[in-house]
Parts: sequence; structure tokens; C-alpha cells
Amino acid sequence: MIWRDAVFLALRAITAHRLRSFLTLLGIAVGIAAVILLTSIGEGIHRFVLAEFTQFGTNVVGIAPGRVKTAGGSPSGLPTAVRPLSFDDARALQRVPHAIGVAPTVWGNSEVAGNGRLRRTTVYGVSAAALQVFNMSVKSGQFLPDEEWESARAFVVLGSKLKEELFGAANPLGARVRIGTLQFRVIGVLASKGQFLGIDLDDTAFIPAARGLDLFNKDGLTEIHLSYEERASATQVADAVKALLTARHGREDFTITTQEDMLQTLGNILDVLTMAVGALGSISLLVGGVGIVTIMTIAVAERTSEVGLMLALGARRRTILGLFLGEAVVLAALGGAFGLLLGIGLAQLIHLAVPALPVHTPVLYAALAIALASVIGLVAGVAPARRASMLDPVESLRAE
Amino acid sequence: MTTSKANGALIDLERVERVFRLGDSEVHALHELDLTVMPGEYLAVMGPSGSGKSTLLNLVGLLDRPSAGTYRLDGRDVTTLTPEEQAQLRSRRIGFVFQSFHLVPRLTAAENIALPMMLAGIPAAERAPRVQQALADYGLVDRAEHRPDELSGGQRQRVAIARATIMQPALILADEPTGNLDRATGEEVVRLLEELNARGVTLIVVTHDGALGARARRRIEMEDGSVRSDTAATHAPA
Amino acid sequence: MAASEATLPPRMRPLDILRFAYGAAAGNRLRTLLLILAMAIGVAAVVVLTALGDGARRYVVNEFSAIGSNLVIVLPGRSQTGGFSPANAVTSTPRDLTVADARALQRAPAVRRLAPVTAGTSELSVAGRLRETLIIGTTAEFLEVRRFKLAQGRFLPDEDWDRGTPVMVIGAKLASELFGTVSPLGQFARIGDRRFRVIGVLAAGGSGLGMTTDELAIVPVAQAQAMFNSNTLFRILVEARSREVIELAREQVTQLIKQRHDGEADVTVITQDAVLATFDRLLGTLTLGVAGIAAISLAVAGILVMNVMLVSVTQRTPEIGLMKALGATGRVIRRAFLVEAALLSAAGAVIGYGLGLGGAAIIRALYPVLPAYAPNWAVLAALGTALVTGVVFGVLPARRAAALDPVLALSKR
Repeated sequence: MIWRDAVFLALRAITAHRLRSFLTLLGIAVGIAAVILLTSIGEGIHRFVLAEFTQFGTNVVGIAPGRVKTAGGSPSGLPTAVRPLSFDDARALQRVPHAIGVAPTVWGNSEVAGNGRLRRTTVYGVSAAALQVFNMSVKSGQFLPDEEWESARAFVVLGSKLKEELFGAANPLGARVRIGTLQFRVIGVLASKGQFLGIDLDDTAFIPAARGLDLFNKDGLTEIHLSYEERASATQVADAVKALLTARHGREDFTITTQEDMLQTLGNILDVLTMAVGALGSISLLVGGVGIVTIMTIAVAERTSEVGLMLALGARRRTILGLFLGEAVVLAALGGAFGLLLGIGLAQLIHLAVPALPVHTPVLYAALAIALASVIGLVAGVAPARRASMLDPVESLRAE
Repeated sequence: MTTSKANGALIDLERVERVFRLGDSEVHALHELDLTVMPGEYLAVMGPSGSGKSTLLNLVGLLDRPSAGTYRLDGRDVTTLTPEEQAQLRSRRIGFVFQSFHLVPRLTAAENIALPMMLAGIPAAERAPRVQQALADYGLVDRAEHRPDELSGGQRQRVAIARATIMQPALILADEPTGNLDRATGEEVVRLLEELNARGVTLIVVTHDGALGARARRRIEMEDGSVRSDTAATHAPA
Repeated sequence: MAASEATLPPRMRPLDILRFAYGAAAGNRLRTLLLILAMAIGVAAVVVLTALGDGARRYVVNEFSAIGSNLVIVLPGRSQTGGFSPANAVTSTPRDLTVADARALQRAPAVRRLAPVTAGTSELSVAGRLRETLIIGTTAEFLEVRRFKLAQGRFLPDEDWDRGTPVMVIGAKLASELFGTVSPLGQFARIGDRRFRVIGVLAAGGSGLGMTTDELAIVPVAQAQAMFNSNTLFRILVEARSREVIELAREQVTQLIKQRHDGEADVTVITQDAVLATFDRLLGTLTLGVAGIAAISLAVAGILVMNVMLVSVTQRTPEIGLMKALGATGRVIRRAFLVEAALLSAAGAVIGYGLGLGGAAIIRALYPVLPAYAPNWAVLAALGTALVTGVVFGVLPARRAAALDPVLALSKR
């Protein structure tokens, strides 16, 4: 039988009982819509988070002291008796091929007092290179000057929110500010960077790393950040860093994290979550499939004499199988298409109602949805179609 | 009766048995049946209900298999054919006309007529003129787009006959073709069938209607699964 | 013919309604089974998923309770918004949170006992074997406050917090890794250039706050501070006298620190309850959401019920016409069909519940730590939803059946 004729007959069968067919495909549609909606939200969140991450610049490698080998991992920032990272280490790292900037980093939480106001906030002790490494830009004044790290002067650069809170609309440049027990002079204000996963990036203060060590009473750096040229590969750079520091320390007593690694891990987690949620939605697809089995079983029972007729007319059993199977697949595929539109529509509606929630339906997902629906139709239709194809012609003709 | 296969016979049944198992007991629907039908014959199969005449028809039409014996169609032993090959034979060489028409209710008259061609994989372009011709031949041109429930009994049977003949079979099997029709319409249908026979199509009609049976050139009476009398068997058995 | 046979009762007796429904169901066994299957899948899914979610929630709650009840936790650093934020999990402050601070807190009336905690990573060396380990520096009270158990030996001695004898208590896994089958008691372990004598081993499996004790090494806080060369504590774990005074303890602690830190309350003081409540709420909401998604399948099952019942109305038209001809009213017919829908849904719900219980049991077998029991509210909700869905989706077919014209109905083949 020619494909077009088979499809024609399938459509005729489906439209012969419009309400019944509609309800059957609705079952699949609801399932597909649920899956599409949930995965669209998941995908939307995935993209959003990735975008947020990349605002930091992707070509960054972070080096922290201590090896995180213990199961369950110790949170970074814990002090370690293992040899800490030093300014010398950071200086040495500047020689790593393809390195652009190295920012030795110390961070902590402290009170910042300025302009008569007080605010508790995050304080970063960094170097001049941090501007490039963290992909920040200066709104007014300048960033920390490029000077000898150990003897850097007590300057501070304010994040936009911190500046707002302390100085309001006034110009803070040149003003004196107290952080902890130390005095600093404001030399710049950063452009707004916004929020990152709920954390306000603009509520920060940047001081030289050496001053940070003083402030927080620490011996070694919390981290060293290194940015490298676009064209270099992350693994290349990470390997070079590892080799260099291992030589310096005698052992590999540090942990290297590339931005790529982090993105990869995060992406994987999000993907797993999205798939898990999608799998939940497909429980209803399962029920939809049961619906197709049920309706096709009824159809075969109703059309038993028709099958007998077709056999008498010379139809092969394979053709009968194909016709009923085709009906199931077309029903399911129509349901899938309907559900796809429904799901995308709902996703967009939710996004309109809650603009903070990102949604995105990749074309791949849409295609997969239709394919999935068709497969369900195929699997669901097999049993009834086989039963139809195995009917005895004489008995069938006598039926009804 | 000659035991050797008659040369040129269209249908040759030799010592055919058809046994059904009903619970514990066995029913011999056909018992030691011999039958030879030449091409172009017009044969009526008659007998009371349970005599096996429908079973015979199903067997001849390859809808059923004999439990024993041989069935040669056009000289070829069809009992050994695969179901696929049998289906092909049914498609090309055999046409059925049923008492209850068996039209597909959701297809139009034209589509019903085209159905055998669709099943045989004949493309739409080739189907269209043949369907048109059939519609014209059977006076159904203005009913072409109507569904069976919009047709009269006579029109339905005409559609069925058109469908049965669209593949130009060598053999037409009719099972009580006038059973659901009134006298006048029935006459018309029989006339159509006889016209086909006049053009060389072998016609076998199963009926309990004596008048219909009388019109056939050859009549066989069945009882309890065997042929009791056969108007063609004028020559005495050897 | 008896009089009772000649007249039909004005309304169908419940038994007859049931018989009507059962007859329809039995007559199409495969169809009925599939309907029940559809409902069962939906209910089973909800039951299993809520069991999973609730199991996770209870696991977390149990873990927190295992820490020690009436716990108030002091962390250095504070975010402007107050409360606990992940950015403050580990941070540095200009002013140290010291052991002296901890000692002062002991005077707070609502405080029963407390343990200062410092933490860091270092390499532990035993007979040439090196292992990077999480080191906790604390005091004797730690064992009680955290409700840990010892497997061997004893815990840190009750001594002056500013001194610290070089002794160590290690976790079960650490013990087996570093000492094998030999008893670690009395053995020595090095950290950097300090030697510690192992005096105790913790019982296996002690956990809480996500960290297991199995791989910990515990030393006196003074030793740890010297080792890491830092004066500031990681946490102070405070046990309040009773549940009622937890909040009071929190206030007192915050006040005391403020006094000692030049009027700056640069600490975050959280109650275990508050953290617990957050997790409880979070996981509870998650479970609800997940179950909700699973419940969509019940709606699909309902659609199927409607579909199949509509078909059966068409197929049983003559039968319905007969019933009407014999005097049954539309209401009776409608009721009969609704009962049928209800029965199907109920059967599916019950079977689904059974399947769900089985699924939860499997989860418990695979993950013994999770107390995966479907909470009662979820079960009732699932069963109820299934029933209601079935009946609601049965309304349309029931009305169609009731509206059939008996003459037309009977005239159908």
C-alpha cells in the first residue's frame, strides 16, 4: 500500500469519531505539554545561569590552597596548615604562558564606615589585575594602581551599591573610609554588575591584597585568580599552573578550578534536574499511551468485520497491522503536535506573568517531543494492531 | 467421475475435508468433497443451513483452508501457498459479494470501490479513471461522494459489486447477494452479476432462494458437508 | 406473575446499580483493566513521589535533630540582611571570634554548655601514610553538644581551653584507613611537626549538618589554633538549657558578643530550629510540587475515563433505551453511570495505592537511610483526586446516556 493512501485511511478513521479521537490525542497532548513546559523552564534557567556566570569572563582559572580530596569536601576558605599561597606564588604565575593577569585574592566580611554611615559587606583584597580578571569596569575614578603588592597603599574602590548606601548621590572620590580597624581612601567607583544567583555583586569593596591580609589577620591568600588569552585552552593553562606551583611547593598541595569545569559541573547538574523534571511529566505520557491502547482495542473490536472484508479483498496481514498501527501513530503524533503548541504557549504565558523566570524551548526539544509522541503511539498501537492482523477472516466477516 | 484433474479447470477440489472442533466434538463442515468448475461457469450452491455451502465458498475464496484434500486454482495447488500469496490471489483473481454488503461506513462510494486498488498499491492517478468507469457502469456517478448510510440497499450492493470487479477478477463469489434486498432490487443485482458472467467471469452464487438458484446454468445441492446432487454430473461416475 | 415483578421500583436499588456497573465492566474486561491501570499509574506515581519527598524531608530533619536539640550556632560575620546566607558560610572578619568570647558566653543564664569549634584542613601523617584531613579543634563539651558516640577510648579531656594536651580523637573511617586492624589507641599521628596521641575513636556513622565524623580528626582547640595560626573560631556551638529558652539564649549570646566586640554584633547567631524550619519548608514545597506534576497524570486518566464511557454509552444505547422503556428515569441512568465511573476510579485508586506502597518499600530497601513513607495527607489527596477526577469526567457521558430518547435508542441495532 502506498504511504499516502495509508495516511489517508488513517485520517479517515480518526475523523470518523471526532470526539473520541480528540480525547485520545488530548491525553498525549497533556503529557507532552507538561514535559515541554517543564523542560522549557529548566532550559531557560540553564541558559540564564550560564549567562550569569560568563559575565565574569570565562578565561579564568582559580587556585586555592589545600587539596579537596576528602569526601564530602571541606568548604573553601577554611584555613589550612598546608603551605599557603603567597604573593611570590602569584608573581611566579604571571610567567605562565598565555597568562594575561594574575590577581592574588583575600576576601572576608567586614564593616565599612564612610560618610557617617555604616554597612556590613564583603571586602575583597585584590590587585590591579582584578579589574580585568573579574571583567569589571570603572564608573568614576580609577581602580587600584599597579604597584608592588606587598607595599600597596591603602586605597579602596567601592562597588556601586556600597557607594549608594554610604554616599548616596555625592561623589565619594578622595573620601576617607574605615574598614575594620584600618583607614582607606576612596579612589574609584565600579560600574554596576548586578546580581549573581541572588548575591549582590555591587555590595563590595576592593582593597589591595596585602591590606586585606592585615585586615583579616591572615597569613596566606584565600585564592589566586589567573586570566588567560582567549585562544589558549583551559586545560593547557591549568596544566602549566599545576606544573609551576608543584615545582615551587614540592607537592601538589593546591586545587585548581577552571571556569570551564565549573560551568560544566553546573551545566550537568542543571541538565540532570531538567531531565528529572521532564521524566516526571512523562508519567502522564505513560497514561496517555494507555489511553491509546484502550481506544485502539475498542476500534479493533468495532471494526472486526471490516478487517475480515479487507482480508477478503486481498489485504495482507502486514497491511492490516500497518493500517491500525498507522492510526495509532498519527493519533499520537497529532496529540504531540497539539501538546507542543500547548506547552510552548503555557511556557510563554508563565514567562509573561513571571518575567524573572526564564523559559526557552530549543528546537531539538520540540522535534524530540513529536518523535516521542510518535514512538508512544507506535508502542501503544502494537498490541491492538497485531490482534487485528491475526483475526480469522471467516469469523471476522461474521461478526457484528 | 474422472479423478484426474480436468484440464483447464478454474477450480478443482479433490477429497476436501473441513473439520471444526467445537468444544469436545468435531464438526465435519465439508466431507470428502470433489468439485470441478470450468472457467466461465455460472454455478449456484444450494442447501439448508448447516449444509456447508458457506464453508465451501470461504474455502474456494481462499478465506479458509481445507483440513485435508487439495484445492487447485487455475491448475495451481493453492493449499500450500503462504498467506501472503493467497492474499495476492484473492486480490487479483477473486471478487466477493456479501449479503450484508460489508462497505466501509466512513468511506464514500467511490472510495469503497477504490479500496481493493489501494490495498494492491495502485497509485491514485491510475485508480481515478477506473473508478470513474465503474461508477458509470453501475449507474452510481451521482452517488459517488455519498457514504453508505446515504445509499439505498440496491445502491449499496451495486457499490459492492463494483468493488468486487474493479480488479477484474476471474471469479466472483456471491454469498446470498439478494438476501437484504427487496424483490425488484434483487432482480437488478442478479442481472448485473449475470452480465459479468456473460463476459466470461466465473460466477458462483450461494443461496437458499430456489428462484435464484434456478437461474444458474449449474446447480449443486449440499447436505451435511457433501454434494448431494450436481446438475452438471450428467455423465455417470466411472 | 407476582406483583413485584410487574412493576419496576421507582429508583434503582443500590445493589442493582452495582450490578449494572459490574456487568458493564465485566463485559469488557480488557477495556476496564486498561482504565483501572491508567488511574492506578497516576495514584501510584503520586504515592511514590510523596514518599520519596517526605523521606528526604524527614531524613534532613532527623539529621538536624541528631546534632543535638536546643542548639544555637554562632558564626563569625554577618550579612546586612541578617540571617544565614551561603556567602557567609566561611568568611574572615577583622575582629576575631575567640575562645575567650566562647568562655564568656558560658555565663549566659540560658546556656547549658557550649563548645568552641575551629576547623581547617591539613595533612595527617601516620607511619609514613599521608592523608589530607579535615581537622576540628574543639573542647570536651563537643561530644555532648553534638550527641556523638565513642567507639573506643575517650574523648578530649576536660581541661583549660587555652592549653591543649596533644591528643586526638579520630573518626571510624580514618582509623581503619590509617591504622588498619591495629587499635589506634595510644598510637601517634603527626600534623606538620606536631605529634598527637590518639586517645579515642568515634562511632561510625555519626553525622549531621552534612558532614560525617568518619573522616574527621579532633584535637583540642588551642592546638588547632596554633596549627593554623589563626585566632578566630569557625563556630561556637551552644546548647540552650531547654527548648523554651532557645530564643532567649540566642539573644543573650548576641548581646554578650556585641559587648565584647566594641558594640559590633559581627556574628550571625542562628538557631537549629530556624535552619530546620527552612529546610523543612523547602523540601515540603518541593514534594508538593513534584506530586503535583505527577498528579497531572490523574487528569489524563480522567480524560480516558470520559472517552471510554462515551464509547460505551454509544454501544449500550439499546440497553439504556430498554431501561428507560421499563420506567427508569434520566436521573437513575445518570446515577448508574456515575457510580460506574466512581467504581472504576476507586478500583484504580486502590490498586495504585498498593503499587505505590510497593514502590515506597522498594525505595526503602534501596536507600535505607530514607524513611520513605507516603504521608497520610498525600495518600488521601491522591485517592480523593482519583475518585473526584473519575466522577467529574464521568458526568458528560452520564448526561448523554440520561438524555437518550428511548424510542430512538431501542431502534438502534
